[in-house]
Amino acid sequence: MMTAPQARPAASPAVAGASAPEPAPLLAPLPAPLLDVRGLTISYGNARGTLRAASDVGFAIRPGEVMGLVGESGSGKSTIAMAILDLLGGGGRVESGEILFDGTDLRKLPASERRALRGDRIAAVFQDPFTSLNPALTVGRQIAEPLIRHKGLSPRQAAVRVEELLAEVGIRDPRRVAAAYPHELSGGMQQRALIATALGCEPKLLILDEPTTALDVTVEARIIELLAKLCDSHKLSALFVSHNLGIVNRICQTVTVLYGGVVVETGATGRVLSRPAHPYSKGLVAALPRITADRRHRLPSIPGTVAKLSGPPAACVFAPRCPFADETCRSRPQAMLTDGDGDGVRCWKADALSGTPWPDEAAAPPRRPPTGTAAETRSAPLVEVDHLRKIYGASRSILPWLRRAGTVAVEDVSFTIGRGEVVGVVGESGSGKSTIGRALLALTEPSAGTVLFDGADLTQQVKRGDQTLRRRAQLVFQNSAASLNPRKTVGAAMDRPLVLAGREDAEERRRTVAGLLTRVGLPAAYADRYPHELSGGERQRVNIARALATDPDFVVCDEAVSALDVSVQANILNLLAELRDEMGLSYLFITHDIAVVSHIADRVLVVYGGTICEEGPIGRVLRPPYHPYTEALLSAVPRLAEDRKEAPRILLEDAAAAPGGRGCAFAARCPRKLGTVCDEQAPPVHETADGHRIACHIPLATLAERAAVFPELAGDAPH
Amino acid sequence: MLAYTLTRLVYLALVLAVMSVLVFLVTQAMPGDVASMIAGQFASKEVVDAIAVKLGLDQPLIVQYGRWAAGILRGDLGRSLVLEQPIAPILMEALGRSLVLAVVALAVVAVVGIALGVLAAVRRGKLTDQLVSGVSYLGIAVPDFFWAIVLVLVFGSYLKLLPTGGYAPIADGFLPWASHLVLPVVTLVLMLLARIARLTRSSMIDVLQTNYVKFARAKGMPESVVILRHALKNALLPTITVLAIDFGLILGGVVVIETIFSYPGMGRLLLFAIQRHDLPLIQATILIVSAAYCLANLTADLLYAFVNPKIRHGMRAS
Repeated sequence: MMTAPQARPAASPAVAGASAPEPAPLLAPLPAPLLDVRGLTISYGNARGTLRAASDVGFAIRPGEVMGLVGESGSGKSTIAMAILDLLGGGGRVESGEILFDGTDLRKLPASERRALRGDRIAAVFQDPFTSLNPALTVGRQIAEPLIRHKGLSPRQAAVRVEELLAEVGIRDPRRVAAAYPHELSGGMQQRALIATALGCEPKLLILDEPTTALDVTVEARIIELLAKLCDSHKLSALFVSHNLGIVNRICQTVTVLYGGVVVETGATGRVLSRPAHPYSKGLVAALPRITADRRHRLPSIPGTVAKLSGPPAACVFAPRCPFADETCRSRPQAMLTDGDGDGVRCWKADALSGTPWPDEAAAPPRRPPTGTAAETRSAPLVEVDHLRKIYGASRSILPWLRRAGTVAVEDVSFTIGRGEVVGVVGESGSGKSTIGRALLALTEPSAGTVLFDGADLTQQVKRGDQTLRRRAQLVFQNSAASLNPRKTVGAAMDRPLVLAGREDAEERRRTVAGLLTRVGLPAAYADRYPHELSGGERQRVNIARALATDPDFVVCDEAVSALDVSVQANILNLLAELRDEMGLSYLFITHDIAVVSHIADRVLVVYGGTICEEGPIGRVLRPPYHPYTEALLSAVPRLAEDRKEAPRILLEDAAAAPGGRGCAFAARCPRKLGTVCDEQAPPVHETADGHRIACHIPLATLAERAAVFPELAGDAPH
Repeated sequence: MLAYTLTRLVYLALVLAVMSVLVFLVTQAMPGDVASMIAGQFASKEVVDAIAVKLGLDQPLIVQYGRWAAGILRGDLGRSLVLEQPIAPILMEALGRSLVLAVVALAVVAVVGIALGVLAAVRRGKLTDQLVSGVSYLGIAVPDFFWAIVLVLVFGSYLKLLPTGGYAPIADGFLPWASHLVLPVVTLVLMLLARIARLTRSSMIDVLQTNYVKFARAKGMPESVVILRHALKNALLPTITVLAIDFGLILGGVVVIETIFSYPGMGRLLLFAIQRHDLPLIQATILIVSAAYCLANLTADLLYAFVNPKIRHGMRAS
């Protein structure tokens, strides 16, 4: 079915660069796979019935190969990883199939032998480093455990080895880190410690389950480089479970795409991501926000939600969401079509569709001009933030040892948001971006400075008990489930703000709720459902609908799409853009993902350590001159094969930000630090055209000399 | 850690100061006055007044409180009116016996309760779990005096294996001492076991679902190591708090149990003082009981820090 012969996995362009393994000679016989999964079927059973998490899943990982296992949440990818480790738990059961590791079927081994393999021959690193280390034990002891158990080292020998391992994963003071407790380390350091644990017994296979998902992008970039380097130098094979195609592109030679517990496509990473054959793969790739994409277009999205099977699939699992599906797809299960190169696709139409891209979204309607004339917009912004400062945990006490200066979350931030304008705030955890959002809604009282909303001081109004302005400013959170009361129906949750706004007629409120649900693309009947009956994307739509209930002018979106799958994320981004265009809403769009912000924001603030280091129209911020932090952020954005250029990547140290000092907040991690001036003096603000401002000690002319991270953008006029 | 302990000690002193005022005021409001009790039922008003003047009872309350509090700070708890002895030695003796009861009972409750809780959590939903739940509920649902009476009847009166009450100092030998402790301790254990077992079970279940337990399993650690080294230490935090509260409770006197087993601890002393209107003894006993409670809680918080390095470091930072 493939038209062009594919490169061998190891020679995939996706791993070009210093860290890539040597390309294997094309004609060498393929080595036997290290891990060979065949016909793996896994079910979760409870009183309400069974759910199939994996149906007849098969894939192979050869020695020294890193395979990506990708798919949306609910696709069964983590379940498969856990099944290989024999750690399914929670009612999960392997129904049938073989898991061949080095030729032995793991399923036939007794539990004790499988346990002996774990941490020794097969090691794992999981998603969340913050919770994967035991808070009550030192890091060194936790790394030493498998060495003592599997390799029979004495605690003293193990301690020596622990320091070697920590040094190998790039930790500069191994002795201190080994003696530390997990909470004393940053997230990046914790993840390094977990990787050191996994490497300890020199395993043959690594199971990496979303190992960088919880980390900041700049830290993620470093961890991925480390993993790629280690896999190469130790000739490790790895199963890399991820939802992030950009990361998969960087580290995996082959990729297997899962949908609804079924493998829909497998092949060399470069080929699958640049020329996906299965419609689902096409959709996933298309829905990924790209910095280089034309912002006037809507992001393509995949409608619907992931299928849940209870038995063997009776039709193509993806048919209900597939734009190309026909009667045959809906009535017959699909077989895997393979070619000689190990590429496979589970779609009988794959060849016919080979040139057909995922359909584009309907073109965006023309954007409603901001209310009022341009002059008025400029003269009277909707939100004015002036020298905002917020310190947490400061306390004055009569007991001298209890007095605390507190932690600076936001250090002197000033900006404005115009009517109908979308301002993005980009920064990593601890940058103070959420605090800025909360201060704008008077959910936290500024320690200094003012926030004016439509010319009035919101904080003072709220203090006096006046909620009228607050109704005009609303909030949408990251965690769609936690922001809805599980005991209240969607309708009841949305009714509340209407009651508070003084709408007395119940019948009229019901109609409003129905109207709002329709507005965000949900059936009006959803008013009677409970949050747990909805998917993550649907719940986020409900949260948006609820925020719209009081007819606000301004909405703060705090990581509103970060927890969603790419396909759903695109969907919600489109909805937010639509609402902005039709209702003239202003947003403060807080995110860690600069690619997402580039899709929706007119202007961007790049924040670091509680200060704005760069701000300006999005088109300006994405092009040089850059603040060194912006440059690092942009270069950390993972890209797909087709976008990939040989741009030098900037890797930052994982030191934590220390806001509140005298100098530049970024000085400690800055790769272009000038010297002591950066530590001791606040950086001057360079202002260029269109309100583009950079706070840096490096002269603007020098900053402008840097090459663009996205050269494809260089020629365009900023929009 | 030092700063934290210092802070807590300052608070402890504040709490006790407030407590002393309350105790003093409450005993003032109680019927009967010290002077007429000392003078006896048939004394003339003059005699009573003379005694009152001698004891300073005619002075304003604030002065009386000041004198009393100053005495306590010097270690002088006053004299018991009924026993006509200094209070401090009586109180210390009773406190010592309550301490013995508390330490033995809590040691049993901690070991058995935590073990049962862990077992139930590990075998969650299975027969063991249901059995532990059922039995521990029975302990909590049936009042302590019922168990006490049943035990006295079975082991004391019927089987005649154990003394039905009283106390033997350890100087009389280990066996008599221990045999007097068995029944009150078993009653207390039945009363306190359920809560500890249930609490340990639920926090253990939470901890067993954490990522670090999953990661410990992924490292190939056997279940015993996963449970004892990785899970238990983290699961014990809430249990420690409750154990400390229970400790304070027993130390402060478990009146019903001490009465049934005629165990001469703090509970019986307080009961005696109240029944006989021995106001100085009431004041001193209540104050010591509050101090014991506060100290038990302080110990719990310090233990907490010992178990959880995160809290320990938070204290260092402060």
